Amino acid sequence: MATWRWFGRAAAMVVAVVLIAPLAFAQVQPRPGGELVFVTTEEPDTLDPQKTSAAVTGNIMRWLGDPLVTKDLSGNVIAGLAKSWTVSRDGLVWTFQLRENVKFHDGNPLTAQAVKGSIDRALAPETKSPVAGALFGPVASVTAEGALTVVIKLKESFSPFLDNLTDPRAIIVSPQAAQQLGDRFGRAPVGTGPFKFQEWRSGDRVILVRNPDYQWGPSYAHAGPPYVERLVLRIVPELAAQTAAFERGELTVTFPAVIPPTDVRRLQDTKKYTFFTFLRKGIANMMEFNVTKEPFTDVRVRRALAFAIEKKSILHIALEDLGEVAYGPLPSSIWGYWDGIKDYAPGYDPGQAKRLLAEAGWQPGPGGVLQKDGKPFTFQLFIVSNDLARKVAQIIQAQLRAYGIQMEIQPFEFGTLLAKLRAGEHQAETLGYTYTSPDIFFLWFHSSNVGTGLTFSHNKDPQLDKMIVASRTETSPQKRLEIYRDLQKYVVDKALWVPLYINTNYIAIQPNVQGTKVHPDGYLVVADMYLR
Amino acid sequence: MRAYLIRRLFLLVPTLFGVTLAVFLMLRLTPGDPVQIMLGEYGSKEQVERLRRELGLDQPLPMQYVKFIARAAHGDLGISIRSRTAVVTEIGDRLPATVTLTLAATALAAVVGISIGTVAATARRPLIDSAVMAFSLIGLSMPTFWSGLLLIFAFSLRLGWLPITESEGFRALILPAVTLAAPASAVLARITRSSVLEVLGQEFIRTARSKGLAHYAVVIRHALRNALIPVLTILGLQFGALLAGAVIVESVFARPGLGRLAVNAILSRDFPMAQGIVLVVGVMYVFVNATIDLVYGFLDPRIRYQ
Repeated sequence: MATWRWFGRAAAMVVAVVLIAPLAFAQVQPRPGGELVFVTTEEPDTLDPQKTSAAVTGNIMRWLGDPLVTKDLSGNVIAGLAKSWTVSRDGLVWTFQLRENVKFHDGNPLTAQAVKGSIDRALAPETKSPVAGALFGPVASVTAEGALTVVIKLKESFSPFLDNLTDPRAIIVSPQAAQQLGDRFGRAPVGTGPFKFQEWRSGDRVILVRNPDYQWGPSYAHAGPPYVERLVLRIVPELAAQTAAFERGELTVTFPAVIPPTDVRRLQDTKKYTFFTFLRKGIANMMEFNVTKEPFTDVRVRRALAFAIEKKSILHIALEDLGEVAYGPLPSSIWGYWDGIKDYAPGYDPGQAKRLLAEAGWQPGPGGVLQKDGKPFTFQLFIVSNDLARKVAQIIQAQLRAYGIQMEIQPFEFGTLLAKLRAGEHQAETLGYTYTSPDIFFLWFHSSNVGTGLTFSHNKDPQLDKMIVASRTETSPQKRLEIYRDLQKYVVDKALWVPLYINTNYIAIQPNVQGTKVHPDGYLVVADMYLR
Repeated sequence: MRAYLIRRLFLLVPTLFGVTLAVFLMLRLTPGDPVQIMLGEYGSKEQVERLRRELGLDQPLPMQYVKFIARAAHGDLGISIRSRTAVVTEIGDRLPATVTLTLAATALAAVVGISIGTVAATARRPLIDSAVMAFSLIGLSMPTFWSGLLLIFAFSLRLGWLPITESEGFRALILPAVTLAAPASAVLARITRSSVLEVLGQEFIRTARSKGLAHYAVVIRHALRNALIPVLTILGLQFGALLAGAVIVESVFARPGLGRLAVNAILSRDFPMAQGIVLVVGVMYVFVNATIDLVYGFLDPRIRYQ
């Protein structure tokens, strides 16, 4: 009987292989047509890339427009609307050669004059640009030299310049359309991208249609216009409704919305859908110490906490293991990451933690609480007021209690939290970041950003500053990698942060969609997607 | 009657003045700065200050309020901080969806609530009465974000009859309207029941019965008509609750209404937008209740206004 059953199964498998094989190996020609339905939790604020501050608008801008330069699937800067570029030795003068025969959606040609008009608009005070204006940095002037040559002069050297130009909010918009439409441009944007704007039904959906003239896409996507006819972005604020709508087939892709970990697990278990993942470009949650406040003025205490916290269970409880434990200030998804940090950084070691605490003078007192000079080891952890941050803080609280450390959790609304951290009112906080380049060392650790920027550790350390400045001025990539390696070691040595985890984002896609690629910057290469 | 109407309209002015002042103050007293929220953590101090100046948020509060009121008097509710479009336009885009949903839910709640309340009051078997009241208790206690999801699960995912996130057409209106109407119909059922019971105990009912009228004729022609006055009052108040409830239901069913616009405006501290929405909803609420006052007169000719 058992043999027969085995035989039957084997026979079925042979039949299945014979049936499926031709399908799998046949060269499937991408079929044009159809529509892809995306979903977002947050409604775009505006579709004017220069006036937006919403993350979702950035995603739409990748469909609607092209930046001067862009990044390939390995993160190298490659040609966008500019086919080549040069920079002067002092890093102040950037010259861009534009592609020929590029047209805006309104029919106007892309010229040097148009690029100038677009960038000038982003920088103009009357545009009141929240993000785009700052991306271009300290621009002194933009000039059109000839029909297709643009020269951007900077007031001072600005190392994130090229990287910032790849941001979707730095796309070139049609200055004529922007001028004609005025305030309505945000509801009828005109770019050069693979898709044209068609309609925005307030609170409901944004509809884009294929740009049939599109021949100037980045080298990592196929040449020519995109395959699908229409892109629809549905606005669905409720996470449970998003997943239900996806399961019912009302949505093609669960992107740019982020599905909660429990739904990811459940959808995976149905085995019906294709999944794509990308690691967050940043640390999702790190504990940071204010080195000017007791008890964290002592590096031994900070390091003790780095040894005391067990990160695996935090990742498990908070994210259902949909991510990675973090060791240093950079994730592997950002260029400059040093792989050796895994072994170099303090791992979970209660013995070492206790030894360091004792060395720093903290002895068990009444009720098991650590004491030093008659004072108990208590501190406040400032967090942003949301469920995930609170959950993680509670796990840390429970873990530290075992060492006799009393941690109080103090949640704040995000803006208020930033103000308090800038003012240095905290002893420690948990936060996360997302960024495209390792320049986060400057933003989060340089002493010039104490009190005004993101240096919430309030650490003023000339040696660290020197390394950071070197990382920004050094031009050899090999040497920069070495500097970033040293920076990662330094931040870990000084235990300014206890990096906790990095989340992996999951995108579920209906099985009839083919050709999907995920860009490491965390978006789908939509031009290559087609329906079977 | 006309004098009453005019007085009623005049009363609108202080009401709305109070409502806008309350919202203006509440929004500004809650922690959170629209500019900081827009710029996120990478916005530098200088950028924050520059944008705040450009948006006119650095002016003193009384000045901001006076400007808002002065403009509102001319029908201009300002420019949204978040979307940079005219508040009036955005509200105009969203209003029809919310009004449709609220009206559908009100009608549904009135029909269902009044019928089952009447049935409960006049049912001669206590079992029916208890069943109806238990049903209304469930309707009343279930939060809409939960009942909405249950309905989606049953009718959209399992049975596949109705869409989840579509927002146009009658089919798309069914689930949200049922979700929104459930608690209101429960309230109305309870009020109707007690009000009908009270009327049924009165002498003119005994007269009607003794002259040989059929049971249903007594209930519908005499009892219900007299019992409807308190029910109507509650219906007017429920209209406000339904507008508020639409916020949640619109989120669950992804309907493009005013409620979601309000939530976004509050979360991003979009002051002009939030103030504008409250003003519009306030006007609607006051008008609905004024209308209900007028309907009293038709139901009970003894009620007249000087």
